[in-house]
Amino acid sequence: MKVPDSAVQISDDTLTIHLTDVPVVDAFTFPPALPPAPENGISPVTLIPARISFDITYTKSGTPRQIRPASRDPLSPLNWGGEMWDATNSGTFSLHYNDGSFSASGDFSSQGNFGEMGTEHNGVFVDHDEKSASGIGGGKSSEVQAQTSQGAKQAGKTVLLKGHVPVKLTIE
Amino acid sequence: MRSSLGLLVAVFFVFTALANAQIDPIPNLTVQPIPVPGGDLLPPYGLFNQFLPGPSNQNPPFDPLNAEPNGITNFRGVAAMGYTFGSATDNHGTVYGVITDIRVYQGEYVGGETANANSAGATKSVRSRGTFVEI
Repeated sequence: MKVPDSAVQISDDTLTIHLTDVPVVDAFTFPPALPPAPENGISPVTLIPARISFDITYTKSGTPRQIRPASRDPLSPLNWGGEMWDATNSGTFSLHYNDGSFSASGDFSSQGNFGEMGTEHNGVFVDHDEKSASGIGGGKSSEVQAQTSQGAKQAGKTVLLKGHVPVKLTIE
Repeated sequence: MRSSLGLLVAVFFVFTALANAQIDPIPNLTVQPIPVPGGDLLPPYGLFNQFLPGPSNQNPPFDPLNAEPNGITNFRGVAAMGYTFGSATDNHGTVYGVITDIRVYQGEYVGGETANANSAGATKSVRSRGTFVEI
């Protein structure tokens, strides 16, 4: 979604975002289920209008990775460049269905899971920016190609739920 | 903490469905951001126009550490992302586990704008600027 620029505050080491009553929908599954076979009596195409508010702070750590495009394949995950830091983030949120039948609030944090922040360029900006950067050498940060995994932070044991995000889980 | 694995996805991720954590059409936005052309194949869903960067040697694996974190192509600016875990309590006192992957992008982008108001909506490339959140 597009949000006002003023919702995001960026300083040297942090990025904070504050949003209030953003319209969303509850689709119950991720990725959105394909019909048929509704589960738990919930249609796979049910979308419930809701509003969500949250505050999140991302904080840089360590030294940046200078990333150069390692592929020019448009479909490749490595076709971009930038300067990225490892980052932690934490936040709070609240949400409610528009009809008032459900609401919840809570908090979250990265807890050692992967995160990053920095500046980047992709798509049509890759050629332009890489040419501009080609005359710039050295620098204090480590330089790696996008395809390398050196410096990877081990995030502990992770479990990939059937869905989108690998996370470290502790269930009591 | 009482956790329901079946509901782990419920609070945020499910609420993420509007954005699907990938760039969907944004109503009433003149210059529409363009999704990255690649992404992860998530059977049976299909191509999900987003990568999951992360550390190596995980099982199941992430995409490479330096995989594109942005869901918007033709973009130049600031990007932030991270995987989190937390908890939430609903209005009935039920406690949920919460997983998030919230990404923020702020900068310039070349997106699609209607080229001809008398067409079906054919686009042209236009440079614009904005702040986007994928939740």
